[in-house]
Amino acid sequence: MAPTRIRNYIDGEWIDSQSTSFTDIYNPAKGEKIALFPVGTATDVDMAVQAAKAAFPYWRETPPLTRARYLFRLKEAFEENFDEISRTLTIEHGKAIDEARGEVRRMIENVEHATGVTTLMCGYTLEDVAQNIDCYGHRQPLGVFGCIAPYNFPAMVPWWFLPYAVVTGNTFVLKPSEQVPMTQSKVMEIVDEVGFPEGVINMVHGSRNVVNGMLDHPDIVGISFVGSTPTARYIYQKCGETGKRVQSLGGAKNIVAVMEDADLERSMPSLLTSFYGCTGQRCLSGSILVAVGTIGDRLVKQFTDASHNVSVGDGLNEQTFMGPLISKEHLARVTGFIEKGIEEGAELIMDGRKIKVEGYPDGYYLGPTIFDQVNGDMSIAKEEIFGPVVSIIRTGSLDDVVDLINSRGFANAASIYTSSGKTAREFKYRIKPSMVGVNIGIAAPMSFFPFGGAGNSMFGDIKGHGQEIFLFYTDMKVVIERWF
Amino acid sequence: MDLNSFGAVLTFAEEIEQRDLQFYTDAAAEESVGVHRDMYDSFIRENKKNISLIQRTRRENVTEMILEPIRHFYRKNYQLQENPAEGNDATAFLDIANARERRAFTFYTDGADKLRSLAEVSRSLKLLAKKHKRRLKLINNHA
Repeated sequence: MAPTRIRNYIDGEWIDSQSTSFTDIYNPAKGEKIALFPVGTATDVDMAVQAAKAAFPYWRETPPLTRARYLFRLKEAFEENFDEISRTLTIEHGKAIDEARGEVRRMIENVEHATGVTTLMCGYTLEDVAQNIDCYGHRQPLGVFGCIAPYNFPAMVPWWFLPYAVVTGNTFVLKPSEQVPMTQSKVMEIVDEVGFPEGVINMVHGSRNVVNGMLDHPDIVGISFVGSTPTARYIYQKCGETGKRVQSLGGAKNIVAVMEDADLERSMPSLLTSFYGCTGQRCLSGSILVAVGTIGDRLVKQFTDASHNVSVGDGLNEQTFMGPLISKEHLARVTGFIEKGIEEGAELIMDGRKIKVEGYPDGYYLGPTIFDQVNGDMSIAKEEIFGPVVSIIRTGSLDDVVDLINSRGFANAASIYTSSGKTAREFKYRIKPSMVGVNIGIAAPMSFFPFGGAGNSMFGDIKGHGQEIFLFYTDMKVVIERWF
Repeated sequence: MDLNSFGAVLTFAEEIEQRDLQFYTDAAAEESVGVHRDMYDSFIRENKKNISLIQRTRRENVTEMILEPIRHFYRKNYQLQENPAEGNDATAFLDIANARERRAFTFYTDGADKLRSLAEVSRSLKLLAKKHKRRLKLINNHA
């Protein structure tokens, strides 16, 4: 089958990029070419922004409830196309089909949450702030917002932002990741069928040119970004220079601590999900497993035994628990970390590099990999690996765990497994990361809570989704009023 | 093959319902089933509803936070030999229906237990087990 040619969606039309350069998109399970992707140009961005700008006056005057009704229709259309979106996602990204379904569910939940606009966008009033003077504040949309999305959640992450921007009356330009453009192309076909007014939602594919085109564009008033820390920092700085609102979510190095009193039997499934779910390619994945006190040997044995049962293969196979990594380059990067771990003296007790997936010789597979006897100064304990590589650190106390977490620089998420409420409270109170799991390995806030970290894991102040996102996409206009 | 994931369990459930739907559709088309046709027609209607319920459950109750591997749950324990429906007499149809319903009831009961950490999913499977148990009773009344 000929690879799909990826097109932009601008002003309600599917149009080719102005770019003459293309790159290939691969199915990571098979190493097979599936799409042809335009690298994109600043002109593409400008066309989308002009369409979004032209759509803004009409859209902002559209009553919030009417805007929400578009989302109700969109939710229904997503439900009808649920399996197809999930399948597309697995084919281009590689993650297990259950994980893809879970992701699409999270995407839809954001649409559902955004429909609460008539409550969540309300302002407030106070009579008689001074004699015969009333004051009220209402939330107004600002114009054209943009989103630059990562590869690891091709369906969900753009929808941490898009429905809220649009339902509050703004218009939107989305740039999906250049590694996974097909899922959002499928999603935009559905958006198109639902019939939003032309120009309200636009999508431009591309790489660096498109990112810079968006950051430099004077008519984009705000940017939402999710990706690596260096890029997140760059985006934050650029938006500062050009006066844009920005929420810029970066990388992570998440620590999962297992205390002596943890219920290992019941914790094991969620520990596996934490470290191996999405093949370790999520910003909430566990990366360092900390064994506290005497639990070390028991934890290492049980976790390693359980890791041997993790089925690796094509994500479309329902039996697969862990799919391939996103690309050949990323596979090389992750195996590079494994080599570095060995060089730095960590003990490799399970080597995922040896894995062979029968029938898929060209897929980008890496099996569960475990290092024991890691210390906090090693590269594998400091840098974001973004793969199924577990670094086990043995410590003596909760204080050690807290120190380790707070010394990472990244501060996205952390988890603790314990039977003690007191220990859990102390943990969540003292650590820097903003997303905390207690006997939960993936501390993922749902759409009605904010998503985002602290430290080097997030730049900006208002996080993704939650109630706060309504603040990001609106300006509070305060009116002080007196009548003679 | 292992039913080691939420998706694998629900996909197998859908497969059971699809195969049962096909069986009852074929059975209802046979002259020989006589007075049992109404019962088979009602099963056909119910199988269609069950498929919708399973698909909705798979769509709405999967969240990555609680995706965890399921252990010691195997398809082979719930496999039936699929024979062509045509040519059977009414009693043979009832016997096959009985075996199918028993299989479904056992699978859903076990599945509800295996997926008990996902309360809503477990509830759907229990509901399906209950429906198939009701059918078993109905089949036995016709025997």
